[in-house]
Amino acid sequence: MDKLLLDKIMGQVSKPVRYMGNEYNMVEKNPEEVSIRYAFAFPDVYEVGMSHLGMKILYHLINERSDTYCERVFAPWVDMEGKMRQADIPLFTLETKTPLSKFDIVGFTLQYEMSYTNILNMLDLAGIPLLAEQRTGEDPFVIVGGPCAYNAEPLADFVDIVALGEGEELTGELLDAYKEWKGSGESRRAFLERAAQISGVYIPGFYDVTYLEDGRIASVAPNTDAVQSRVGKRIVHDMDRTYYPDRIIVPFMNIVHDRIMLELFRGCTRGCRFCQAGMIYRPIRERSPERLLELAEKLVQSTGYEEISLSSLSTSDYSELEHLVKQLMKRFEDKRVALSLPSLRLDSFEKEFIQEVQKVRKTGLTFAPEAGTQRLRDVINKGVTEEDLVQTVTDAFESGWNGVKLYFMIGLPTETREDLQGIADLAKRVTDCYYRVDREKRQRGLKITVSASCFVPKPFTPFQWEPQDTMEQFREKQEFLKKTLRLKHVNFNWHDPEVSFLEAVFARGDRRLGKVLLSAWKNGAVFDGWSEQFNLDAWMKAFEENKVKPEFYAHRKREQHEILPWDHIDTGVTKAFLWQEWQRALRGEITPDCRLDCTGCGIRRLGEGLC
Amino acid sequence: MRVIVEYTREERVKYISHLDLMRTMQRAVRRAGIPIAYSQGFNPHPAMAFASALPVGVTSQGEYMDIILAEPMSLPVLKERLNHALPKGITILGALDVDEKAPSLMSLIERADYRVTATGMDWEKALTAYSNSAEIIVMKKGKKGTTTVNLKDSVDTVGIDSENKEVLHLFMKVGGKGSLKPEAVVDALLELSQGNSGEAELPDRSVSIHRTGLYFRKNGDWVTPLLRRKN
Repeated sequence: MDKLLLDKIMGQVSKPVRYMGNEYNMVEKNPEEVSIRYAFAFPDVYEVGMSHLGMKILYHLINERSDTYCERVFAPWVDMEGKMRQADIPLFTLETKTPLSKFDIVGFTLQYEMSYTNILNMLDLAGIPLLAEQRTGEDPFVIVGGPCAYNAEPLADFVDIVALGEGEELTGELLDAYKEWKGSGESRRAFLERAAQISGVYIPGFYDVTYLEDGRIASVAPNTDAVQSRVGKRIVHDMDRTYYPDRIIVPFMNIVHDRIMLELFRGCTRGCRFCQAGMIYRPIRERSPERLLELAEKLVQSTGYEEISLSSLSTSDYSELEHLVKQLMKRFEDKRVALSLPSLRLDSFEKEFIQEVQKVRKTGLTFAPEAGTQRLRDVINKGVTEEDLVQTVTDAFESGWNGVKLYFMIGLPTETREDLQGIADLAKRVTDCYYRVDREKRQRGLKITVSASCFVPKPFTPFQWEPQDTMEQFREKQEFLKKTLRLKHVNFNWHDPEVSFLEAVFARGDRRLGKVLLSAWKNGAVFDGWSEQFNLDAWMKAFEENKVKPEFYAHRKREQHEILPWDHIDTGVTKAFLWQEWQRALRGEITPDCRLDCTGCGIRRLGEGLC
Repeated sequence: MRVIVEYTREERVKYISHLDLMRTMQRAVRRAGIPIAYSQGFNPHPAMAFASALPVGVTSQGEYMDIILAEPMSLPVLKERLNHALPKGITILGALDVDEKAPSLMSLIERADYRVTATGMDWEKALTAYSNSAEIIVMKKGKKGTTTVNLKDSVDTVGIDSENKEVLHLFMKVGGKGSLKPEAVVDALLELSQGNSGEAELPDRSVSIHRTGLYFRKNGDWVTPLLRRKN
């Protein structure tokens, strides 16, 4: 790497600190003294990637090994990419500024579909062959993991290995296998075969997919004896004993989530039917308050952060939340550490709690009723009632809050005009709650923000068989809401449906989309999740060039027994359970929290006493 | 207790912004367990103030910040603990106990000197052109739009290093009215070295700027906030 040249271009780009590294707690090792070099790649900019908890865990976990050096790399922003291409500087890691092509393993995390073109762009910038079948000898192995890895089929052409589920144990086993293989002199394929023996490892190249004339899948089957017909995910069984970093990198620049994240638990028992996270992260496993307090203590000391956020899919469901919050307050109040509680659900947000949080710092109040009427909330199994909302916002207004954010989705299955009208009615109801509070008690300047996102049906959810609304339908619904939400104190936010449409295509996509992805990237698509970069034309042209109809993926209703592109992946939750939930949804039947009574989702197959 | 701390910003962290630096110092102070005072009010913040913002990409061996401690502390201990808690590339060089009522660093500091290195460059030509011009007008972007400034008003001295022709020493105004960023001065000098032909592009070379000190006037001398006389 020509460091002078790199220095020169860094002087010419925005936010060069993104590419600098050298943050406090960055791990430094001598690359000559390790046997495996692992590049953890996040296909988005630094400030997004560095906010990601999974990366923090895996980076420090891998670096616990003395035989491996894990370094970081992010997608360079477009100005930096341009300069790098001009100056012929290959994509490099932050730690040692080593070109990515020199690594043994490059691991990408798949957090959202709209980052896929960035993966291709990063591989290209690194000079690593894009197609797995073109990689040879010295090329790194490309591994993907993260939530979108459960249906990584659209990326099947580009990746060597897919890691399913939680990485704490799997990663170590994979590195052990790699080390053995590296010394053996065996072929590239031989490593993949070794890797395939590790539970949770899926090698797309070891499976063939055939199609029916109408485009549906005819079969997915192994093309080698080395693998099973289905691959299951990995999970950590004991959250108190599994690795969690007690030092994390403290970035210089302001990142999206610039604070300590305490992960309370994994999984969620609520069973919201639209929610992929609620299904794929099962079963629920909590960390003990003692362990969390110990981690908090160490992390505050080792980072100097002034804020801790309690992180999980549904923080208010943590069984010892009150105890934990009180203890955290007690220990850190005089150290001036603030506590924030994101993703709180409406129904367990209690008044006393609001005041506890307020003691240290007032954070924004957000609620996600998701749908405008009780009928539709029952369909999606969001067990929240209008009375819950009324009670909670009233309490909040009485405690001095004056701003509330309400999140909804449009285009949910079975949605009618009445459900959309219900969104406006709820906003109105919240306004009324505010005015019903004593003038002396309430804070002036009410501000209600209503956000409506476009629903994207996701694989491994009860809605996986359902079509997404067309872009025209979404636009028409947004127009309706713009009109009905023209209310005093209410601000309405909506998203352009184009991105949601592409998400729907790729979320439930199959291997035939690989060509589309490649074309879209060649047509200039990159950073598709960033509205100023999003380029629908590049995508529509890519679909045309490859004679692929995106509507087939986004707008088609699948029948019960259709072979879905991800059926050979086992998240633990059975397809039969998902179908049963879909039928209940159609009947408007709610399914209670499975902590109250097992709903038979199938996850118990993963181990005794898990939930 | 009020303390002025002298620190460096070295090559490996030179791309952090002023805001990044402030955050970094605040967190380092917390990690080091230094009993810093907090402001009153709804959103208390640590009592910490900086002498002058160092432009992104510029290194320095003489940066200063002012901190107020809620309880007294020995300065060598403060220095050692802070150094231990700082990322590599930021080093505390010294600390000085000052009067609580002394003026702020920002209002005190008037001058900075820089060492500018341009590989393969001979500054001779630029300097001759500089000396021969009565004024050199450059554009300055400010909050109220772009204004023009005579560069020579904001630069006290400019000279070539006696041992290395690639190195230039600049002594100039900083922070106050009519002050320029060092890059602006360097760019103007690079342009002067091209002569008036206007055809040539700027040379394709890397230029590095290093701040060697910040100064205020005391008894007729330029001295650093730690009272070291400018040499």
